[in-house]
Amino acid sequence: MTASASMAAADNEPEFDNPDIVGAHARIAAGKALIWAASILFVAALLVQTLYAAGAIGFGFATWRPILYAYALWGIALGVGQVMARGEAGLRALFVLPAALFTLAVAIFPTLFGFYIASLDWNLAALGGPHFNDFDNFVQMFHDPYYWNALANMVFYVVMVLAEYAIAFGLALLLNAEIRARKFFRVAFLIPFMLSPVAVSWMIGKSLMEYRFGPLARLARDFGWQTPAFFAYPWTARFTIEALDAWMWIPFMVILLLAGLQAMSKEVIEAAKVDGASPWQAFWKVTFPLMLPVSITTLLIRIIFKLKLADIVITVTGGGPGGATDTVSSFIYRVYRDRSNVGYGTALAMFYLILIILFLMLLLRIAKRFTRNVV
Amino acid sequence: MKIETYEQIMRAQLSRRRLLQGAAMTGAAAALGTAGGLGGFASPAHAQASGLSDAEKALRKQILQIPGVGKGSPTDADYRKVGELCLAPTKAAIKEGEFKGVELTFMGLNNQNTHDFLFRGFLHSWEEYTGAKINWIDLAQADYNARLQQAISTGTIDWDMLEMGAPFEGDVCGRGLTSEMPDWVKKMIDTEDYVNYLKPPVGTWDGKLYRVSIDGDCHNFNYRTDYFSDKDLAKAWKDAGHKGEWGLPKTWQEVQEVTKFLKGKTIGGQPAWGYLDPPKPWGGFGFYFLASRTTAYAKYPGEAAWLFDPDTMKPRVNNPAFVRAIQDVVDALPYEPPNQINADPNETGFAEFLGGTGSMVVWWGDVGAAAKTSDTSVVGDVCGFSILPGSDDVYNSKTGKWEKPSSGPNYAPNLAYLGWGIYVMKKVDSDDKKHKAAWSAAAHLGGKDLALWTSAYPSGFQCYRNSQHDIDEWVEAGYDRGYITSYLDSQFNSYNHPNAAIEPRIPGIFQYYSLAEDELAKVFAGQEKPQEGADKIAAAWEKLTDQLGREQQIKFYKAALGK
Amino acid sequence: MAVTADLDDSFAQPGNTQRAKIVVGRVLVYGALIIWAIVCLFPIYWTVTTSFKSAIDVTHGHLVPWLDFIPNWKGWGSLGLSPDTIFQISTPRHEFIGRFENSIFISIGASLLALLLGSLAAYGLSRFQYKFGPMKNDDILFFFISQLILPPVVLALPFLVLYKELALLDTRIGLIFVYTLTVLPIVVWIMRDQFNTIPVELDEAALVDGLSIWGVFFRIILPITLPGLVAAFILSLVLTWNEYFFASLLTASDAKTLPVMVASQTGSQGINWWSMAALSAAAIAPLVIVGIFLERYIVKGLSTGAVK
Repeated sequence: MTASASMAAADNEPEFDNPDIVGAHARIAAGKALIWAASILFVAALLVQTLYAAGAIGFGFATWRPILYAYALWGIALGVGQVMARGEAGLRALFVLPAALFTLAVAIFPTLFGFYIASLDWNLAALGGPHFNDFDNFVQMFHDPYYWNALANMVFYVVMVLAEYAIAFGLALLLNAEIRARKFFRVAFLIPFMLSPVAVSWMIGKSLMEYRFGPLARLARDFGWQTPAFFAYPWTARFTIEALDAWMWIPFMVILLLAGLQAMSKEVIEAAKVDGASPWQAFWKVTFPLMLPVSITTLLIRIIFKLKLADIVITVTGGGPGGATDTVSSFIYRVYRDRSNVGYGTALAMFYLILIILFLMLLLRIAKRFTRNVV
Repeated sequence: MKIETYEQIMRAQLSRRRLLQGAAMTGAAAALGTAGGLGGFASPAHAQASGLSDAEKALRKQILQIPGVGKGSPTDADYRKVGELCLAPTKAAIKEGEFKGVELTFMGLNNQNTHDFLFRGFLHSWEEYTGAKINWIDLAQADYNARLQQAISTGTIDWDMLEMGAPFEGDVCGRGLTSEMPDWVKKMIDTEDYVNYLKPPVGTWDGKLYRVSIDGDCHNFNYRTDYFSDKDLAKAWKDAGHKGEWGLPKTWQEVQEVTKFLKGKTIGGQPAWGYLDPPKPWGGFGFYFLASRTTAYAKYPGEAAWLFDPDTMKPRVNNPAFVRAIQDVVDALPYEPPNQINADPNETGFAEFLGGTGSMVVWWGDVGAAAKTSDTSVVGDVCGFSILPGSDDVYNSKTGKWEKPSSGPNYAPNLAYLGWGIYVMKKVDSDDKKHKAAWSAAAHLGGKDLALWTSAYPSGFQCYRNSQHDIDEWVEAGYDRGYITSYLDSQFNSYNHPNAAIEPRIPGIFQYYSLAEDELAKVFAGQEKPQEGADKIAAAWEKLTDQLGREQQIKFYKAALGK
Repeated sequence: MAVTADLDDSFAQPGNTQRAKIVVGRVLVYGALIIWAIVCLFPIYWTVTTSFKSAIDVTHGHLVPWLDFIPNWKGWGSLGLSPDTIFQISTPRHEFIGRFENSIFISIGASLLALLLGSLAAYGLSRFQYKFGPMKNDDILFFFISQLILPPVVLALPFLVLYKELALLDTRIGLIFVYTLTVLPIVVWIMRDQFNTIPVELDEAALVDGLSIWGVFFRIILPITLPGLVAAFILSLVLTWNEYFFASLLTASDAKTLPVMVASQTGSQGINWWSMAALSAAAIAPLVIVGIFLERYIVKGLSTGAVK
């Protein structure tokens, strides 16, 4: 809480209000006092409940729910206190504070507990329960061919995001153009995203692509592929899974890019046209660079979802044939759920988390440099 | 492990079938003859229902007419009616309104809108009569294992009654989480009527009985009678120089031979295929299908253990018997349909076999039950059943040698999964009223007459009582005698087989299966040799055993084998 | 816009080669649109028609109703939603309606909460410089998105323990919290991009006119970014509507949602294609309606000239 209290608007921001100097001191003191009082109250409640839960004291709450209320109260007091103590800067802090506090509240315990579990040898079926095992989970991970195979597959899946992006950008441009029946096309293009992954896996992966009766398999036969077993060979299986996932998620990218295109000011493009640029040039010189920030957001979110790809793989191929379509998430799914090996499964996920964070930070850094050079 | 839907037993469908029956009858009759001889031993005593009183018989006859075989799927109203008609034992033991104010939570499956939805109907009149109220937690099958394990370990068991398969008993009863069955319940559900393999030790832990059975499970062998009575195929078989007459394979060696022979042949203008393996993992359940290919090789008569050495928990999964079965799959796959590598058991049994592709498949009773009644099935009139094929030789793991029994092939039906049961959680023990209410509800669901109905109609449950083996009762209800005899015999002959392979109910058994599935997928995809894959499975199993506690696992494994 | 705006302009003074070019361009544009529309809609068509098929029509891959197969109410009947079953007792229907209500309540609740928290944070991050200990704006932004990375499956035990202690298991509000957490990062990122495209001068002008920064945000800026807001809302709604993992983990009898019921249509007895198709179709129907209704707001906004 000290950290967020120090949250401050930078000095270069212009000040617009002109507070009454005399009243200000009292207000600042009251604000600080409010934050301190609320903090003490919250910490006290937390302490009492912790001791109670640990059996050290005899009074406390039946569940931790009141602590949640105390946290909410503290959050409100913190916000009000910020405004009182820091005026304009406090008002600004108020924008980001609710989301930050909410995220912390819901995510902090699971994340910390997750890191703790990652250090345990914990198989739920073991009557002995969990016990600490140093870094054995990570040692085991480095010798686990399934994990590395899945990671290698992820490289393929992530690279394919670029292809999805290209298609999505094209579609967004089409939808943004002056076309007839625009409403129809916009809703139609959005629909694949609405189908749940379970339904996509079954109705498309296992029904439309069914070897014997599936319309897609019959279409493939018409095109001369006599044994359209989409999931029987490693590369066709990989591409088919990718196609299913792309089908679902391209609408997501289209919508983001379309919103970006809509927000772009028309004048810039008009100006380019006046300069005599062809549509192709106008796109590369104007539209594409202007769309870079939105594109980066789109790619980033899409890559993150791609890295979590699991449901379709689990239902349609189970990772097969021979691990060709396995993803890290679907493998962790098997370890954590089918085998109840939660310590090891969590360790795999935590290592994956760190890999992804490093990868994304690198990506963002490159993207930033790129944006700066172009625009 | 069986979710019947049978759905759509439409009258139109049936009359169409009757027209076709004339043609198929000859073939079916011929093949059924073979089925009887296959097991090589006589059917056990059945028709135990004759011990029933006339009133009981009348009741059974009455419920079998709801809604009537061939008169469409039962509705929720039918479930309620059946539940009400079977309420007499409850009324005798419980006073009206005795459980007023009691609320129970029941966790089970919603498997294609049966299981829990069925129980709701059955218990409707029970709730009205006793005054208790039941809340339902419906899980999808894929979530079941994880939910159970995670709830146990985080202390979030929020149910009082549980629908559970016997393989999980190690995880649940082994931790003392279940309530012991009171004697009055034992009498009420007549546990003596259970088929042999469902009697203790199944359902017990440390000598205490916990389980109300509602289902029986084993793998049987489903085959197409039209294939094995086809004259053209018989001629081609002779022409190709095969030994013996063209007919139903009785051993896995013959299954292999027939499967290889059938590739490239046609039957009725369609491509012919032999045995169907399900190589794609299926949440651990795929391993049962390798096990079924193995039991005839690995289950040595007179020795109960076949998956582990009972004294050390050393896996046998890489012994010559298992490796031979894995090699069989690898050898057979090129002769199976082109997409077979991505077929899981579900697809093999329902999409392929019942859809008319392939001539032999191993499954739980579901496939056979659906063959005739589900309109997904196009093979209803040409489907025969038997116990699992045998093997000319059997591996003796004590001597490390293959032996050829002088009495003929070694048969060893795989009693996979052991069926669903109802369990009451220990936490109700502290409240007498709740305890009695929970057990009363469980006993109602596990009742003898209800069992007859659930096995005759789409319910997801199969026979588990000797009293269900009265063929006349089934025929009277509208079943075809040839079909129901073949089907029930394949079930009961497996249940009661002296050399049946019993499910190891040790904690974490599905973890073993899941590990094996992953490695087998590699072998089947051609990335590893069978021996290499089997060795890796064995190594992974050893590691898992150590993680779970070897001493404990040995103790539990022995208990599961009844030692 | 760039591509066809040009085409339209050329339309004004057509020469012969120009005309040919335009026609080709049109054909390409509409060809691409129609092909992709088929790619998008065919599986939906397949799903909807399957809900009216009997098993045999599914396994024979019949495509066109009345031509290939005679539609029936089987799929909907198995849910108690066909004309002949709608007035009978039906457990599946009862179950479906209860779950449907929960799904609507939870997904709308979570999406709105995420939209509120997310757009506030996004505006702050777009307009002001924060220092949060060592973290600056970019780090805070990354902090939000990093919540999205962990495969949810490994959060099973932590969330079970947390929710048990907070008595949030099997409650709608509990599910709303988790879902808000999962879509919040998306909202923050989308909305920050949207705010970034609005010139700061606009805020400053409004401030000069006497509005507080909160007044500027709610009365000037937020209406302008309506397209982005609507896009973020639709995406959040769909993601939370279809969320399976936490729904199966954290609910029991009270807060259960639809996706688990869809998944329950397959088990150890093959698959009930018809009822899965019916459930899937019923489950996307509300989303499609929302899509049709809100689509116009994605079109509106900046491009209609609200600014400048």
